Amino acid sequence: MRGGRAFGRAAGWTLMMGLGGALSAATWTVSPEGPHSGLKAVLSAAAPHDSIRVLAGTYAEGTVTIDRPLTLLGVGGPVIDGGAQGHVLVITAPQVTVQGLVITGTLVSNLQDNAGIHVDGVDDVRIVDNELRNCFFAVHLSNVRRALISGNRILGDPATPETRRANGIHLWRCTDAVVQGNLADHHRDGIYFEFVTGSRIEGNTCRGNLRYGLHFMFSHRDDYADNEFVDNGAGVAVMFSHSIRMTGNRFLHNRGGSAYGLLLKEINDSELRGNTFTDNTTGLMVDGCNRVHAEGNTFRSNGWALRLFSNATGCTIAGNSFIGNTFDVSTNGDLMLNTLAANYWDRHLGYDLDRDGHGDVPYRPVGFFALLVERIPYAIIFSRSLFVTLLDQAERVIPSLSPAALKDDRPLMRPPHG
Amino acid sequence: MTMGKVLYYTLVDLARNRSVLAFAALLFVVAEGLFLVEGEAVKAVLSLVQVVLALVPLVALVFTVVYTYGAQEFTQLLAVQPIGRSAILGGRMLALGLSFLVALLFGLGLPLTVHAPGATSLVLLVAAVLLAWVFLALGTLIALVNRDRARGVGTALAAWAGAVLVYDALLMTLLFAFSDRPVEPFVLPVAALNPIDLARIAVTIQVDLAAMMGYSGAVYKKFLGSGPGIATALAFMLLWVAWPTVLSFRVFRSKDL
Amino acid sequence: MDSITFSGVGKRYRKLWALRDVDAAFRPGEVVMVIGPNGSGKTTFIKCLLGLVRPTSGAIHVNGERIGADPAYRHHIGYMPQISQFPPALTIGQLLDMMRDVRGLSPERTDDGLVEDLGLSAQLGKRLGTLSGGTMQKVSAVLAFRSAPGILVMDEPTAGLDPLSARTVLGRAAAVRERGGTVLITSHLMEEVETLADRVAYLQDGTLRFLLPLREILARTGTDRLSAALPLMLADPR
Repeated sequence: MRGGRAFGRAAGWTLMMGLGGALSAATWTVSPEGPHSGLKAVLSAAAPHDSIRVLAGTYAEGTVTIDRPLTLLGVGGPVIDGGAQGHVLVITAPQVTVQGLVITGTLVSNLQDNAGIHVDGVDDVRIVDNELRNCFFAVHLSNVRRALISGNRILGDPATPETRRANGIHLWRCTDAVVQGNLADHHRDGIYFEFVTGSRIEGNTCRGNLRYGLHFMFSHRDDYADNEFVDNGAGVAVMFSHSIRMTGNRFLHNRGGSAYGLLLKEINDSELRGNTFTDNTTGLMVDGCNRVHAEGNTFRSNGWALRLFSNATGCTIAGNSFIGNTFDVSTNGDLMLNTLAANYWDRHLGYDLDRDGHGDVPYRPVGFFALLVERIPYAIIFSRSLFVTLLDQAERVIPSLSPAALKDDRPLMRPPHG
Repeated sequence: MTMGKVLYYTLVDLARNRSVLAFAALLFVVAEGLFLVEGEAVKAVLSLVQVVLALVPLVALVFTVVYTYGAQEFTQLLAVQPIGRSAILGGRMLALGLSFLVALLFGLGLPLTVHAPGATSLVLLVAAVLLAWVFLALGTLIALVNRDRARGVGTALAAWAGAVLVYDALLMTLLFAFSDRPVEPFVLPVAALNPIDLARIAVTIQVDLAAMMGYSGAVYKKFLGSGPGIATALAFMLLWVAWPTVLSFRVFRSKDL
Repeated sequence: MDSITFSGVGKRYRKLWALRDVDAAFRPGEVVMVIGPNGSGKTTFIKCLLGLVRPTSGAIHVNGERIGADPAYRHHIGYMPQISQFPPALTIGQLLDMMRDVRGLSPERTDDGLVEDLGLSAQLGKRLGTLSGGTMQKVSAVLAFRSAPGILVMDEPTAGLDPLSARTVLGRAAAVRERGGTVLITSHLMEEVETLADRVAYLQDGTLRFLLPLREILARTGTDRLSAALPLMLADPR
């Protein structure tokens, strides 16, 4: 709902602009063959709400600034090359649309946040269907309301060292943004949010980023839906936020010593539904969270499917599937103030005499071995040893080490979905 | 030449014996059953890993011991012919090794190829074959050293329990006791001294790679995921085949039949 | 030349000497009966010759060659053990084929006359696991004779055989002697020994008490029965 509202606003504004444009706006054409061959010249000549068609070719004019509400429309993939002088495109006016451009040539700097498209303090900006190649920051927004960032291809170079990488889509202090259908690869963080509220992030793909596919902090009331996060150095980290909804996202192949499909740290009153966690070192890590509700998610072939720290409270893990993970659940202490209910556990060997679809005795998903590895990490090499399997079975029957509350009273006999 | 004849007639005897055939069928049914019940190839392979790591050494060991005792009269019959001792033992061990290989290819390789082709299945199959050979060699040695059949079978069972269970239990106890010391670099090499552990780690590093990477996975991956590492692991397994074999030949050459 | 010589042969099982410093020589064209009480070392004596048991001390020569790791000398030896057990799944015919193959005998050089003589022809299809002890002994006898060996070794050959078959087998043994072969037989039946033996070896507690021609034993003791001569011999073997 919140994201939908943001999108509605952006769409409404588009309609207004369309009407205004039809009445009074002019359309300019820029082309290397002329008559207008200079992008900067046309930008300074155009009146507010004019449209500028940029035809195929390379425009290397250093940093280009858009200082009035214009529509910049690339035709045939014109290349805007900033020539490593700073930002490439700077938007300093509201209601600007940038569409269909190929943007490259930011200056890599440790002192400035140079970006392919830099927007600061102006609202209702639309950045659509562009390609950003090897930028330092690709899209950098701060203090922007109602931004639309859609269908952009943000491509980095796998060979770029970490010190020369910055974030793909970077939003700071923004509200009501819509970020959808973008691809962000091989940057530092694919998508980075700090103090971003009431926004919707949908259908994006973040892969091969050095640090996080998605990284957000202090960003409340946001929706994340149907995104895919693959092969990122540390997966996805979300911290210090509340009222988050994450649905239908896919967290894949995020591997490494401190890699998580999804790390939730200090997240309150949030929901996770229908996400899949596959082949990650840790699928979902819940650290210091309150009232997080995870339902209908699938954890498959992860090292640790779920690490539920004992500093989390009031979280419910219900109706999820745990299949083929090395460890289904682990925790780090004796206290457990969270609830596991009616999940499907592939290791569950219980019976269902009353045929209500639930096992008749509680299932304890935390094995002795998971606790041991929590204490002595390199004990992992005993994984799937017969001794470990026997101990685990014993631990489940006679729990002596794992927190007594960490059990599923009504384990499902079959996976709840597909 | 004469070893070839011993090999041939032992194979004929093993084919009539049907135990190896039964072992292959058992493996096949277990594997197919797991793939059928689990519904998911990944899970079935994971369950198979544990079945294979425990069952293959047990069957190879016990069958070899029982067969060696059962073949005592046949061995005597051969030993009074103009056939050397090495040819008798070599032919018999080769025949058993070949039978185990065929049983595993059929009982394990076939289901794996059909349901879960890939590197993991290949490693599992190779590990299973090597384990079968290791415990064939150990079983032969145990049967040759112990004249008494009951004692031989008992020793074999003890050896199996030691390799599959007790070794890990001891090692984990030590690990626990010395967890505040820098024992980490020794854990993998010491565990890998046990062929079952070595096979298990070689397979699980494929299956549980994600979790392995959680800890200083670079070390393990470097060791068992790379060419030299695979070569080291293979060499080590073959060493485990070799030493009981060499000792068996030495014992058998001067054994009173 | 002697076909078999034992020079100072001893065999120790843990602390027990089953055979102690045995010196003996056996010639072509003779039957030597090896007798002695149970546990006197007869079977060990034979097993040493066949290479089933490695002597602890001493040397054994067969046809001038010292026996050791090289199994070739056993081409010259036919052996019939006291108790025979065969792979139970094989038939008699399959066993005969296999043993011929293992010994590298060609069919024309294989003497399977005993198959007919012992009445085994009709039983070639029977599995060895289903045979009676007597029939197993017959099979064992066939195996011992078929390569027309220069040396024939038989451990209690008549123990499980019916009288008729026993006579057939002993007759064959006598034929080996006529052909110039050396025949060693252990037995505890004195009449059998008396009918066949050229010389008699007496083992006791692993020691060879005497190895003398039967005729000389009888002459020395002034008896006409071996059973009567033995106590006198043991009182004063010289």
